[in-house]
Amino acid sequence: MKKMFAVFKREYLQAVRKKMFIIMTFLMPVLMIALFVLPSLIAARGLGTKHVVVLDGTGQLKDAFAGPEKKDAPDTSLGKRGDLPQQMQTDYVDAGGKNVEQAAKPYLDQLGEKNGYDGVFVVPADALTSESAKLKYYSRSATDFMTRERLSSRTNRAVQQHRFAARGINAADVQKLMKDLDVDAVQLSKGGEQKKAGMANFLVGFIFIALLFIPSFIYGLEIMRGIIQEKTDRVVEVLVSSMSAKQLLVGKILGVAAVGLTQIGVWLTMIGLIATAGLSAFALAGENVLQILRPSVFIYFVIFFILGYLTYVCVYAIGGAVCNSEKEAQQLIMPITMTMMVPWFLMFPIITNPDSSLAVGFSLAPVYGPLTMFARTLVAEPPLWHIAVSILVSIGTVFAFFWVTAKIFRVGILSYGKRPTLPELWRWLKVA
Amino acid sequence: MGDILAVRDIVKVFGDVRAVDGISFTVRQGTITGLLGRNGAGKTTTIRMITGIFMPDSGDIRWLGSDSGISFRDRIGYLPEERGLYKQMRIVELLLFLAEIKGRRPADVRKKIDYWLERFELTEKRGAKVEELSKGNQQKVQLIGTLLHDPDLIILDEPQSGLDPVNMVLVRNLLRDLRDEGKTILLSTHMMGEAERMADEIILIHRGQVVLEGTLDEVRGASGKKALHIDFDGDGSFLGQLPQVQHAAVDSNVAEITLADGADSQQVLEACLGRVRIRRFELATPSLEQIFIEKVGDETLSHEGSR
Repeated sequence: MKKMFAVFKREYLQAVRKKMFIIMTFLMPVLMIALFVLPSLIAARGLGTKHVVVLDGTGQLKDAFAGPEKKDAPDTSLGKRGDLPQQMQTDYVDAGGKNVEQAAKPYLDQLGEKNGYDGVFVVPADALTSESAKLKYYSRSATDFMTRERLSSRTNRAVQQHRFAARGINAADVQKLMKDLDVDAVQLSKGGEQKKAGMANFLVGFIFIALLFIPSFIYGLEIMRGIIQEKTDRVVEVLVSSMSAKQLLVGKILGVAAVGLTQIGVWLTMIGLIATAGLSAFALAGENVLQILRPSVFIYFVIFFILGYLTYVCVYAIGGAVCNSEKEAQQLIMPITMTMMVPWFLMFPIITNPDSSLAVGFSLAPVYGPLTMFARTLVAEPPLWHIAVSILVSIGTVFAFFWVTAKIFRVGILSYGKRPTLPELWRWLKVA
Repeated sequence: MGDILAVRDIVKVFGDVRAVDGISFTVRQGTITGLLGRNGAGKTTTIRMITGIFMPDSGDIRWLGSDSGISFRDRIGYLPEERGLYKQMRIVELLLFLAEIKGRRPADVRKKIDYWLERFELTEKRGAKVEELSKGNQQKVQLIGTLLHDPDLIILDEPQSGLDPVNMVLVRNLLRDLRDEGKTILLSTHMMGEAERMADEIILIHRGQVVLEGTLDEVRGASGKKALHIDFDGDGSFLGQLPQVQHAAVDSNVAEITLADGADSQQVLEACLGRVRIRRFELATPSLEQIFIEKVGDETLSHEGSR
């Protein structure tokens, strides 16, 4: 115990005193905030105006494009108009009775030039009558789908109105008939209370999930590097002649875990402070962030943080034990990290469908459980037995991984030769 | 004094290599015991089994010293051949850590640290980080780390490699002092000359087996034969070809010769006259190196030792 504590203490103090720790602790929250605040700042300020020319082969859609975009224009494809980060300005060219493609030619030639148009939108002459008519949008970038969507939806609205009008229905009636209804998203908890769901909850969820897994990777790498360092500095021989490999490993992992918890503690405090300050802002926006930051979230956060952290750290410790140099480790880091990050890549479908079989499967699986289960508890209320099973599976995983790590560690830390192959690793497991 | 450690028939196999193939010996308390052999003979593997880094595949290692409730592991001070320290740590911090993993409380060793730093002339550097020290000084720090927890058995693997002559003498005197205080020292080395100078007892290992064991005098006496030591000026390469010579280790101006059975040393002297200038011609007990060569055949050690 005393020896383990000595290792723990050394590991902790050395890490906490490092510049990287201090920078990480204070810079991370700033970065995170920037990551989430910048897009909305950009949204508010806008990215400038898109200038588009519309060539109307039908000659009858002038009303839809003349003047600025109407705020109340119903838009079926996107949410609120206010979400769009860009202004769009359209110039209308009546090409009724002419060959539209011909008429578009001079505009296409100047496409993308200074003071020219950013896009050319062509409405064919048969747009009102043919069901198979195609609208065409020319631009320099293939990814400008926002503008394309907006133009298409606007045109389609106008085309529909004209078609209705052609069958004798009054234009004002059509407007009314086709008015979209807004959706208010409400999350109903088991207790029956109603919560208003919204964008802010989504963002806060992502911040929490990022906080849950980022330290695991950073300190996982740290422990890997530490073990390799001990091997290259040849300290390890003195260590294992003084204590068992297991004591050494436990001391190290707990030391690194304490470092991670310290960091998380600082971050949570900072978030708490910022959140209290920002709460009123969210409240004004009509969203109660407190409903996602309920106390149980913090409890789950700590539980799943520790479980996820220990799992990842064990995996990286094995990596450290089998590598002889940082260079070798570099090759291992990629595949390990990629495998570990699978739930992060799937986070969007998981958060949006927290009770889907994908989400449930991942949340009950070893290794991926902690991150996925935490995400589920954050955005929904999964059945308690799911949470219990996930925690048990994760504890089992940590113990199993720890056992494997200890064995490989015992043989691996003293092998200075080339990196072992998988069959060799298997032999180590049986021998040690 | 009695034995402090008994090693019985230990075996360690790595893949196809029998690194240690049934080694047995005992270490007497209060001695400097030299564990000798060429590089790769199995010395380090044997030591790693004694220090508990490896478990032997078979055989056992028993602690026979006094039982004072401190575990076997914590009574050993071990200086590995591959030196290693945490480079980023400060000296005192590191030494405290090394004592702690040997079960000592930091408060109990602070005084000792001062004493050892003083003795090794490192007091001025006590605030420095390990990486700021010269290689020789790093070695001294590691040696302090080996001794700090007051071990009964001190195991040193090639303790003098990489030391300059001044520090070599420092270490040599230190080891003698420690022995005189009643500590036991197990000294692994491939430098026969060094072992001859220091060791009370010798264990000679070759290819994972003990080939010779005993006090220095016993080992020398057991050979029975006398060796011919010649110091000369000139080209001594002919010495190996003389019919009276069974084996000759010839350096630039010294040679140690094992005579063939029944050969007369005077004939060798005659052969030398006129070819080289003789400065010393002595029939004496053979060196450890010579004994070793006799024991294991033609595989010489000589130039390993003088590296």
